[in-house]
Amino acid sequence: MKLVSISGTNGSGKTTLTRELISRLWKEGKQSAVIVNEDGTIDYEPEFIQDKDLWVTYLRGG
Amino acid sequence: MGCSLATSLVARIKEIKRTVNPDYLFIEPSEMVLTQEMLDATRMGLRDVFYEIGPFITLIDGPAFPETWEERRPLLMGQIHKADLVAVSRADLVSGDAFSQILGALDGVPHSILGLSAEKGQGLEEVMRLLA
Repeated sequence: MKLVSISGTNGSGKTTLTRELISRLWKEGKQSAVIVNEDGTIDYEPEFIQDKDLWVTYLRGG
Repeated sequence: MGCSLATSLVARIKEIKRTVNPDYLFIEPSEMVLTQEMLDATRMGLRDVFYEIGPFITLIDGPAFPETWEERRPLLMGQIHKADLVAVSRADLVSGDAFSQILGALDGVPHSILGLSAEKGQGLEEVMRLLA
């Protein structure tokens, strides 16, 4: 398991980049999980989670 | 990042490692967390389980850079420091002159600065190579 941190201020595109990387890795046969702070405003919708076999967890204040 | 928060993060990482063990675990920290804090927290988990740490990527909001640089410079520099990759996000919305100004402002930073646009696909191959 490789741990990848994507930092930045709100609105800098952390979730957008993470989603793009997860999708590309999935096409390469790689499974991903994500820990996202609860301040995040863009959710990982159920279809995306199911389609990418993604494991998502939220961390308060993290 | 406080001690209890770091402990919670490590507990979550270890849980994922033991139950899911994905190829990649992405972490999107709060905007107030510095890269050094993330490094320190994630290293704690290595006492119990093995995983590979990094790369750590810091995004700089391209269009918002002037305001961020003016008002939140310590935060920005704290996120850049210790990062493996620094990328200007929404680079497709930044003019060549504005991008040059960002590079100029970050001239002392020991990183190459990548222009990134998820919308246009710009810079994503470089990030994928870093993840490989």
